[in-house]
Amino acid sequence: MRTVGLDIIHTGWVTTFQDLGRHDTERRGVPTGGAADQHSAAVANILVGNPRGATLIENLGGELAFVPDAEVLVAVTGAPCRVTVGGANVDSWSPVLVPAGQEIRVRADMGLGARNYLAVNGVLATETLLGSAAPDQRMGFTQGLGARVLLESGFRGFRHSHFAPPLFRLPAPVLCCPDGPWVIDVVESYGARSIPGVRELIAESSYVVTPRSNHVGLRLDGPVLHPDTDVEIVSHGVPIGALQIPHADELIVLGRYRSLTAGYPIVGVTSRASLPLLGQAGPGRELRFRWVDRETSVRRSAEQERELRALERATSKAFGALGFAGHLIHP
Amino acid sequence: MAAAQFAAVTVEPFGDSAVMVTVPHPDPVIRRTAIVAFRERFLAHRPPGVLDVVSGLESLLVEFDPLETALPHVEYAVRLLAERLPVQERLRTRTALRFAVPVVFDEETGPDLASVAEELGVAPAEVVEAIAESTFTISLLGAAMAPMMDGLRVPRPVRRRAEPRTDVAPGALMIAGTNAIIQPFPGPTGWRVVGRTPHTIVDISRPEPVSFGTGDVVRFVPVTRDEAAALDAGFLLPAEVSA
Repeated sequence: MRTVGLDIIHTGWVTTFQDLGRHDTERRGVPTGGAADQHSAAVANILVGNPRGATLIENLGGELAFVPDAEVLVAVTGAPCRVTVGGANVDSWSPVLVPAGQEIRVRADMGLGARNYLAVNGVLATETLLGSAAPDQRMGFTQGLGARVLLESGFRGFRHSHFAPPLFRLPAPVLCCPDGPWVIDVVESYGARSIPGVRELIAESSYVVTPRSNHVGLRLDGPVLHPDTDVEIVSHGVPIGALQIPHADELIVLGRYRSLTAGYPIVGVTSRASLPLLGQAGPGRELRFRWVDRETSVRRSAEQERELRALERATSKAFGALGFAGHLIHP
Repeated sequence: MAAAQFAAVTVEPFGDSAVMVTVPHPDPVIRRTAIVAFRERFLAHRPPGVLDVVSGLESLLVEFDPLETALPHVEYAVRLLAERLPVQERLRTRTALRFAVPVVFDEETGPDLASVAEELGVAPAEVVEAIAESTFTISLLGAAMAPMMDGLRVPRPVRRRAEPRTDVAPGALMIAGTNAIIQPFPGPTGWRVVGRTPHTIVDISRPEPVSFGTGDVVRFVPVTRDEAAALDAGFLLPAEVSA
């Protein structure tokens, strides 16, 4: 292990440390939080030989650039973006070598998706709150990068020229961020029963993410229906991805930093398998919802998990063949 | 009431990886007490695959990993654990701690003191007295680990504010219904602000940001502004360990 310094040249609109979130803290009033797009965050870590839940960098908008003072192994995932090392284009969704003194730069394109994830082989030095590096605005835990980030890494480098063909061709399950409207799978919940016709309305309508969206929830412009009855709904917990109809004519999809909610009906909950795409939805993005049953929803989630495990095996084999154990794969 | 039993709970699926548990009963007080008892029992016997729980006022959201367990298993475990659920159940995995929290009660720290007194038909000093004479139990940790307490002894439940306050200082002691809560970070609230403690309630630089947990016992000790300043109060720690 050695300590590597990453000199931060440029950060995006919002650039923070991030991971897959807190475990078992919601019972103590702290939302799990973590990467909005958990799939891309997990894949970025796997591609550099880290455990899925390792600390990495989340970037929203603008440009992220840094220069390491020793060679590092990096992977960029998330929304489509342009990645360069020393000015030359390199692949995202693949392990990339960044030599000492060279700049890696990630140029986001908000038109295609909101967030990019950058993982580096090793352990990024950062503060934690309740066992996680994920920021929590409400508790004043902001997790900005600062001017220099330190990394503990066992990576010793591969002998590989930049002009040679790509070293890796790994089965990375790339998150598909299509050009047109994004289709989000939703499982109906009991709140839909109190609003006749809302299921059909949501299925046939189109919704647009407004700029008033944040990590607590996406606020969507589009048609809604309100319940006739005035049944009191007392403060209760809600799953991530819950579709809430507030008193105003809008639809809210709650995110990983949601808190308790009261008074508004929850008509459905986003399928686990659709949450990563939802985490990429920025202002202006058109969304359509598709009702699915619970079994279909879980099956899609299992499919994603199988892809991640296949990538873990393939990466582990590839690194092993190169004599790099990726010490973090088997801690 | 303490002997009341519940043969059944309601379990509503909520998306593909959560269920909502409620205790059907006409009396909201019993619904609320029973769900706290259920949560403690559920956490003490947590079924495999359950990731976390979120406490609501009258409900418990149980979040699980659908690839590790399945909805029918979670539902079965919930019903099994809820059988013959008493309202009061001593199922402590840790010894209850006792806290004596100093609080400054004046017009500046407690801007809602006068209106609460008016609502209850008493003098502001009597509201302070009622709070000081109440023994609170922490029923759950609310947003950002705020201690939510039950046990305020007032003639009738205190109403919430019609217009929420937008920026309440950390340490603010707030009441609503027969509950009290301490604001850990600056932020909005619909609760009635009656005083402020000089202690830090939640310190995120500590590995364990709070010193309290559910079931702990809290009393509030009125102090003057000068006394509060002289305390040099830092992170809130328990006064003693109860037997």
